[in-house]
Amino acid sequence: MNVREALKSGSSQKVLAWDLPTRIFKWGLVLLVADAWISNKFGGSMPAWHKWNGYAILVLIVFRLLWGFVGGSTSRFAAFAASPSRALVYARDIFIAGRARRFLGHNPAGAYMIFALLIAVALQAIAGLYSADEDRLIIEGPLAKTISDSDVDRMSSFHASWFNVILVLAAIHIAVNLLYGFIKRDPVIQAMISGSKPRANYEDQQEARPGAPLAALACGLAAIVVVFGGIFALGGNPLR
Amino acid sequence: MKLKLLAGATLLVAASAVYAQNDPIAARRAILKGFGDATKAPAAMLKGEEKFDLAKVQTALKTYSDGAKKLPALFPDNSKTGGDTAALPKIWEDKTRFESLYAKLGQDAAANMTAIVDEASFKREFPKQLGDCKACHDDYRAKKQ
Ligand code: HEC
Repeated sequence: MNVREALKSGSSQKVLAWDLPTRIFKWGLVLLVADAWISNKFGGSMPAWHKWNGYAILVLIVFRLLWGFVGGSTSRFAAFAASPSRALVYARDIFIAGRARRFLGHNPAGAYMIFALLIAVALQAIAGLYSADEDRLIIEGPLAKTISDSDVDRMSSFHASWFNVILVLAAIHIAVNLLYGFIKRDPVIQAMISGSKPRANYEDQQEARPGAPLAALACGLAAIVVVFGGIFALGGNPLR
Repeated sequence: MKLKLLAGATLLVAASAVYAQNDPIAARRAILKGFGDATKAPAAMLKGEEKFDLAKVQTALKTYSDGAKKLPALFPDNSKTGGDTAALPKIWEDKTRFESLYAKLGQDAAANMTAIVDEASFKREFPKQLGDCKACHDDYRAKKQ
C-alpha cells in the first residue's frame, strides 16, 4: 500500500519517521537562522546576541554531523546519502515520468539539499567567526583578531553575501516540501513536526528506529566541547 | 598673547570652514576617522582587552557629540562622488532619515556623558551608542571591496 492509498483508505496507522533529536535540530536550526538575520538587523547595540546565535548554530551543525553516524535510522548519513546518478534517476522518475516513489526518510535528491543546507550554514557560521565590522569596533568574531584586516574584510563580505545563498537554498527547500505535501500528498512537513508518517510501502525503511536519548545527550555535549574548545584552540575567546 | 591665540584660533576655524566647503568628502572623512580613533579604546574596554578608563570614554562621547553636529552639513548634493568616498547614493535619497541618525547619535552621546559614570554604566550604555554607528553604516556606508 502506498501513501496515497494509505491516506485514502483512512489508515490511521503511523510509523516513526524522524526521532526527536533530529526534529529538535531541524526546527532549532530554522529558528536560529531566522534569528541570525534578526539579531544582525536589530541587534546593533547587542553584538553578543548575534555572536551567541552563531555559536548555537555551530553547536547544532556539529551535533547533526555526529547524529548522522549514531542517530536514528533515518537520520544516519549512510541511510540517505545517494550517488548523483541515483538522485537523477529519482528526480526523473517523479518529476518527468510522474512515477510514485516513496521514502520514509530523505529521498536521494532531497539528500543533496540536506547536505547543501548543512554545508552552506556551516560555512556562513565559520566565516562569521572571522568577520568584523569595517573598523573592528562594533562587532568582531572571536577569531577575527587572528587574521589580517584585509582577510577580515574578505570574510566579512563573504559573510554578508553568502546569506543570500542560504536564502535561495531555503526557498527551494520550502517550495519543494510544500509541493510534496500538496501534489504528491506525502506529508513530509507534518512528519518533521510530529515525527511520524502513515504506514506504507516505503523504498528505504518501513519504520524508523530512534537514536538513543543518551547518545543524543553525548552528541550535544561533544558538539559544545568541539565548538567552544575549537574556538579557544584557534586562539579566540568566544565567551567575551 | 591672548590676542594672538584668538587670531590663530579664528584663522583655524575659518580655514577649516573653507576646507569643509571645498572638500566636504575629506572633511567628513576626517571627522569620521576621528570617531573611529576615539572608539578604539572603549571598544577594547568592552571586550575586556583594556582597563576601563572613564576619561577616554568621555572623550569618545564628546567626539561623537561634536561631530554629529557638523556631519549633516558635510554631505552636500555635490559630494556624492568625486573623491574617495564610501558614502552610498542612498544617503541623498533619504536625507531626512540619514540626518536623523546623526541627530540620534548626538543625543545619545550627550545623554551618555551624564549617564556613564562607572564601568557598570559604561558596559550597559556604550554598546547602544555603537548601535547608532551600525544603524547608519548598514544602510549608508559602502562595505570595503
Ligand atoms: C548617520 C550616519 C552615520 C553614523 C551615525 C555614523 N557613521 Fe561612520 N560613516 C558614515 C558614512 C556615510 C561613512 C563614509 C563617509 C565617506 O567615505 O564619505 C562613514 C565612515 C566612517 C569611518 C571611516 C572614515 C574614513 O577613514 O574614511 C569610520 C571610522 C566611522 N564611520 C566610524 C563611525 C563610528 C565609530 C560611529 C559611531 C560612533 C559612526 N561612524 C557613526 C555614516 C555614519
